[in-house]
Amino acid sequence: MKKALSLMVMTVVLISIVTGCGRSGNFKSTSTPGESSGSETQADKQTSRSGDGRKKLVWLSQGVGENSWEGITKPILEAYKKATGVEVVGEFYSFKDLFDIIQVKIASGSSDYDVISVDAPMVAAYASRKWILPMDKYFTREEKEQFIDSALKAGSWKGKFYAPAENTSTQVLWYNTSMLDQAVVTMKKSTPENRLTWEEVVDMAKKVKEKLDPDGTNGIYGLDFQQVSRVYQMNALPNSLGGKNIGDDGFTADGVINDDAWVKALTWYQDLVCQGIASKGIKADEMSNYFYSGKLAFMVGGTWTASAAKLNDMSTYDCIPMPTFKGYENSVATPTGSWHFGINAASKNVDTAADFIKYVSLGEGNDMWLDANNDVPSRKDKLEEIMNNDNAADYYKIGAYEAIHTAVTRAVTPGFNEYSTILDSTWEDVRNGADVKEALDKAVEQINTAMKEYR
Amino acid sequence: MTNTGTREKALPYILVLPAFVLIFLFKLYPIFYSLMESVFVNGTFTLRTYETLIQDSTFWHALWVTIKMNIVMIPLQIIISFCMAMIVNSTVKGIGVFRTIFYLPVTISLTVATILWDMMLSPNNGVINSLLSVFGIPAQGFMASKSQALWSIVIIATWKGCGYWMMFLLTGLKNIDPFMYEAAKIDGCNWFQTVTRITIPLMKRILLFVCVANTTANILLFVPMHLVTQGGPQDSTNVLMYEAYKSAFKYGNRPRSSAIVGVLLVLIVLICGAQFKLLNEKEERTDG
Repeated sequence: MKKALSLMVMTVVLISIVTGCGRSGNFKSTSTPGESSGSETQADKQTSRSGDGRKKLVWLSQGVGENSWEGITKPILEAYKKATGVEVVGEFYSFKDLFDIIQVKIASGSSDYDVISVDAPMVAAYASRKWILPMDKYFTREEKEQFIDSALKAGSWKGKFYAPAENTSTQVLWYNTSMLDQAVVTMKKSTPENRLTWEEVVDMAKKVKEKLDPDGTNGIYGLDFQQVSRVYQMNALPNSLGGKNIGDDGFTADGVINDDAWVKALTWYQDLVCQGIASKGIKADEMSNYFYSGKLAFMVGGTWTASAAKLNDMSTYDCIPMPTFKGYENSVATPTGSWHFGINAASKNVDTAADFIKYVSLGEGNDMWLDANNDVPSRKDKLEEIMNNDNAADYYKIGAYEAIHTAVTRAVTPGFNEYSTILDSTWEDVRNGADVKEALDKAVEQINTAMKEYR
Repeated sequence: MTNTGTREKALPYILVLPAFVLIFLFKLYPIFYSLMESVFVNGTFTLRTYETLIQDSTFWHALWVTIKMNIVMIPLQIIISFCMAMIVNSTVKGIGVFRTIFYLPVTISLTVATILWDMMLSPNNGVINSLLSVFGIPAQGFMASKSQALWSIVIIATWKGCGYWMMFLLTGLKNIDPFMYEAAKIDGCNWFQTVTRITIPLMKRILLFVCVANTTANILLFVPMHLVTQGGPQDSTNVLMYEAYKSAFKYGNRPRSSAIVGVLLVLIVLICGAQFKLLNEKEERTDG
């Protein structure tokens, strides 16, 4: 009986291996970076199809909850249904979960979703893996030119337009007016054309910290970054010193992220932490709360900080444009980029999906979205409208100016996941005291290894 | 008669079959699938994934961090669990309270425990640093320190896990006939001799189970790295399991992830094999 049982086990195992290997493309890893998933033919067929007459779309997105995108987009989806008869069902997940779901479901060729919300820096990655379809045939040149340059660049890969932007983002320097008053620090005037320097801001931050928390026991900091140790925000520092995010080929890191601009920027930031002006150990998800609760005098943060401050019962705040480094007034760089829309390559409703995407990126849907969410538009006409609107809030006007004039796109590379994971760690390591040059050289080595998969 | 005999012989296998099917579906098949995924890329057999892995310094560093952490953590947890089991095995009044206290960390999920400890070990306003300051010790980085982060995770995992292993070892202690200890006492054995020559040898089977299960759990430890350190500071906590997670879910590189998991499997098999060799009791054959 022992032999019979052993034989049974071996047979079952062998059958599973054989059927597993034999199924065509079963170990064809659609998620292998840089390699064709084999769905190109299928994608071509879908893009050439015209008018499929389907009445339902599924949109995969982040922003779960009635107070988030899930609630905000309901009127937009209803308006689209009223206008076109097409029902769009939104499936919303947390920011982190969305990436996992895309990696698992979209990578496996699932047709469960038609439209995907794509984080701006992931467009190149998804496009290179053929997870999303080019949309050039759905947007005219004039329509594409309605987007700001940074949004157009972020939504394109290798000359093709894959993902129009929903909106963009920008950062301003927020400060706690009450803390400055208590520390008897006077904020100087700053405009986009005539900005304060980082050196001046650090000086003010230091004075506030010394006055309000001289022995460091009150947990008060002078200056920090809302999305600390994330490339989205932190890379603006070396960018402001003339540094680039990645080589022009989209792969090269050596000589780019370890050049003088990067070393100088990271050293400057490390000095802030060593002096106790900036924090150590506080995560990006916690940083805003420090600002809202009066523990942080200056915070570089997104334009959404104003509405969040209101929700957190904080009213003693104001903002100025992002500072410049002294001597680098002409290379001010601000973070940018937000969410784009992509068509799932395996979608069975490609034309309808494209129509919906146009509605929410350029059409009435986008107008409704901007009114509801107050994000910075990625459309030039909307940005000009804000800048010329006397009733628009200061942070909105500053944001609009920055989006047009100083926004620097994040690294456009198919290996952005690896790039950002490695560099996020590098920023955190530098924050914790690592040697700057060594940390950057190590990051270059790791990025080079990661990019081999994509070259 | 024959039918009854056949049915009786088949019954145990039928009863075991559901468990076997589940083990096969959720344990054995995924292992095979993962191994196949590491060598079949786009339907083609290739060892390129392993070649790339061998040339990747990040992989070797992660392997070293995994080994370094477990060389310390596995013996530490077993020794502490054994000592705890010895303590709660005593017949002192009220010892049950301590048994409960020692077991309490087991009832908290590792996720919650990690978050709690991260708050306590915070370099800015953590309670541990506050306590240290009372003794004049400057604030420590703990999870934010390159030299302390890995050992902070070892402490968290040890605090969380020892109560669990203690219960198994306690069962082993309870199974030892008290007359053995009496005989040892009569023969003049001291405490140390009793433990090393009677207690531990009689607990070999339980110890083997605890060693193997503990090894598997610790080599696959992932939660603190994912929740708190993300493999940092400066890759000091970047263990193989976290590297495999990053490969699969952040980089979308399933073959690389499967290859790393394959290496982990080999590592666990080697270590557990050595443990079997050392601790397995040879069954005495009785002839005649």
